Amino acid sequence: MASWYSGRYGVSQLLDAAASVSGDVRTMRRGFRWDRPRPRSWPEPSPAIPDRPSNLGWARMEPVRSLRFLVQRGLMMPFTEAMTHLQVEGSEWVEDLDRPAILAANHNSHADTPLLLHALSQRTREKTVVAAAADYWYKRPLLASVVGLFLNTFPFSRTGGPQAVLSSSHQLLKSGWNLLLYPEGTRSTDGRIGEFKPGVGFLATETRAPVIPMHVRGSHRVMPKGQRYPLPGPVKIRIGKPLEVRRGETSRAFTTRVEAAVRQLGDGREDSALTGSWIDRWRATQPRRSSSEP
Amino acid sequence: MSRPGAVIEVDRNTPPTLFHYGEGFRLENLPLGSRILYPPDPIDPIPHPERAIRRALSKPLEDDPLKGLLRPNMKLTIAFDDLSLPLPPMAAPDVRQLVIEEVLEMCADAGIEDVHLIAANSLHRRMTADEIRHIVGDRVFSTFWPDRLYNHDGEDPEGNVLVGRTGEGEEVTLSRRAVESDLVVYVNLTLVPMDGGHKSMATGLGSYRSVRPHHNVKTLLASRSYMHPPDSALHHSCVRQGQLIEDAVRVFHIETSVNNHAFPAIANFLQKRETDWTTSDQVQFLAMKQFTDYAPPAFKRTIFHSMRAPYGMTGVNAGQVDAVHEKTLAAVRRQMTVEVDGQTDVVTMGLPYLGPYNVNAALNPVLVVCLGLGYLFNLYRGKPVVREGGVVIMTHPCRYEFDSVQHPSYIDFYDEVLADTTDPAQIEERYEARFAEDPWYRQLYRKSHAYHGVHPFYAWYWAAFALEHAGQVIVVGGEREVVHRLGFRAASTLEDAFEIAEQTVGKWPSVTHLRTPPLLLADVR
Repeated sequence: MASWYSGRYGVSQLLDAAASVSGDVRTMRRGFRWDRPRPRSWPEPSPAIPDRPSNLGWARMEPVRSLRFLVQRGLMMPFTEAMTHLQVEGSEWVEDLDRPAILAANHNSHADTPLLLHALSQRTREKTVVAAAADYWYKRPLLASVVGLFLNTFPFSRTGGPQAVLSSSHQLLKSGWNLLLYPEGTRSTDGRIGEFKPGVGFLATETRAPVIPMHVRGSHRVMPKGQRYPLPGPVKIRIGKPLEVRRGETSRAFTTRVEAAVRQLGDGREDSALTGSWIDRWRATQPRRSSSEP
Repeated sequence: MSRPGAVIEVDRNTPPTLFHYGEGFRLENLPLGSRILYPPDPIDPIPHPERAIRRALSKPLEDDPLKGLLRPNMKLTIAFDDLSLPLPPMAAPDVRQLVIEEVLEMCADAGIEDVHLIAANSLHRRMTADEIRHIVGDRVFSTFWPDRLYNHDGEDPEGNVLVGRTGEGEEVTLSRRAVESDLVVYVNLTLVPMDGGHKSMATGLGSYRSVRPHHNVKTLLASRSYMHPPDSALHHSCVRQGQLIEDAVRVFHIETSVNNHAFPAIANFLQKRETDWTTSDQVQFLAMKQFTDYAPPAFKRTIFHSMRAPYGMTGVNAGQVDAVHEKTLAAVRRQMTVEVDGQTDVVTMGLPYLGPYNVNAALNPVLVVCLGLGYLFNLYRGKPVVREGGVVIMTHPCRYEFDSVQHPSYIDFYDEVLADTTDPAQIEERYEARFAEDPWYRQLYRKSHAYHGVHPFYAWYWAAFALEHAGQVIVVGGEREVVHRLGFRAASTLEDAFEIAEQTVGKWPSVTHLRTPPLLLADVR
């Protein structure tokens, strides 16, 4: 049969295709006994075969990735740009990450995720997973599928303790994905930064992934808590130098340092140590195993 | 506790059976009374692989803990299996990444500066940077690539040295870097019992001169089968070579095994027996079948080759090669073995889109033979599933399509060699040396991403025993001209194939279907 792309198809080929589809359905209906009870001779289905993974692993596979690329480039980014006239400072820190990183940002609004993704380079954006509150976004399967498809989210437990945070996040970081986290755990109502929860520090100390502080200013006016539709308003994102866990540093101390870095980005000062030149970035991204270099 | 493998007899209630068909599928009704061999379900993976790896490195088998072998000024080489394992490629993180990271962590603590990582690709093609990155992970890649992390080059005259000859006269060559190292850590991934053991170093870091002694028709005909090393002349030869290597090089061997969870959630139905298919699986199958029937081949290939298998690690052992390999084989057999009573007249198998030598490429006709008659046919212990003089029926589109970057010598092999003869012994005698020493193929192997010039010969020899053993081979749904070039019979449907088979095995033959992948090992009694 001629394939649809061969340029040789016509009505008869389409009819053939329809007949073929109908034949397949008929074979399935008869073979799998759609209209009759399951035969007793069939062995019990195995409980050992794992069900579909619940962390929306499909969202990180083709062709979903290509579809997301089209949606983000064709719809989300132009819309975000038109609504917020987004300004980004320090984007050189996230242009070309040589290993997976944790992106830690303050959280004002549902608009933060599209804005932060917009601020990343294409390559980094394609490899970034967004931690979405499991008890909020994943309560309804349809909503979970939509955010998984468009924003590449995964369920992040806010209440399950350190092991729950680690299990899937660790796996994703090991698999080469960057992780976008909101360490405050919830949205701010007035744009002020809340206290960071220790999960980000715990994750960084366990996985040794660098943490890139990011600060979003103005998004609480675009889509404040309780607002269902976005409003136009200027937004500025500042990105800081990657932070690494120091030898002997505890996860809580590191969390405090990340929080301070995000707050400092929000202060509005032009601090060269935070925004940095390419030389700083070069040194900051030097592989941890530098002792093996000549 | 996972469900063991099973032999199911087809009755009136049995649903149609899935046959892989290249980058597509067929649903076939097997004759009443046929047997279907199903592999065991995936066994539970180790919950904390990193911990298990650390434990294996600190308590190795018949060897000192790795930490005790490390000294600051030593020269250390880490070699690891290439992308021919596992199939499909493993979803990140690959177990080799986890092992290599733990080894490097210890090297860093010991202050070893001179560390190289070599992909032990033998005469396989060089892997691309992205493929290597996928295996070793970002952190290792960004630290070592490209000057300290690279592919082995079996044709580099300066980069390989002759280690010696075994008592049987088999030459042993090895990567110079490995020979000159104070310690070689080999990181293996064993998917089937054929992999691992002494074969890893002897073949992976060897050259044509050291692979030739066991990759030849005589040795492969004496290997019954490759999947059962005690009865495999191929493995006996590798063991002799490996023992010689152990005398010259200090090797710390690490082997890992994975379960057979070969398909991601998007193709979960491929993992299940048909009687286990839920409504959602059936819908998934229908959707995927329509997609594979009508989508352009290049698009289909991209989708299929982007699938990553969610394998779970089931074992990790480190230490002395033989002790480690014994443990690994036990884990692999536990995952794969299906007990089968007696042989069969006709064996059927659906050939998937992927074999060990076509990752990110088309499965060309020579590789179809290698996959069907070389690998799947040999997935047995004891006796082959099909009796001597029986019929092998395979389903595959068998198109004349080759990847000119990866398989340049395969094209000439098909056009020139198979046009002359399909007899492995004659092919070896008349053509092998010319292809193996061809300077253009050598250049493509060294500098491009091509398999070695001799590789199509090995792919063909791999099927030598099956060609000798089977009375007839029939390809269902294959291009007639291509199938005839391979020396087989073509059939449009499975029913036609059974009709043709009757001429060889008589009316009412016994039929057995190998429902693979996931892979199984038939223990034929």
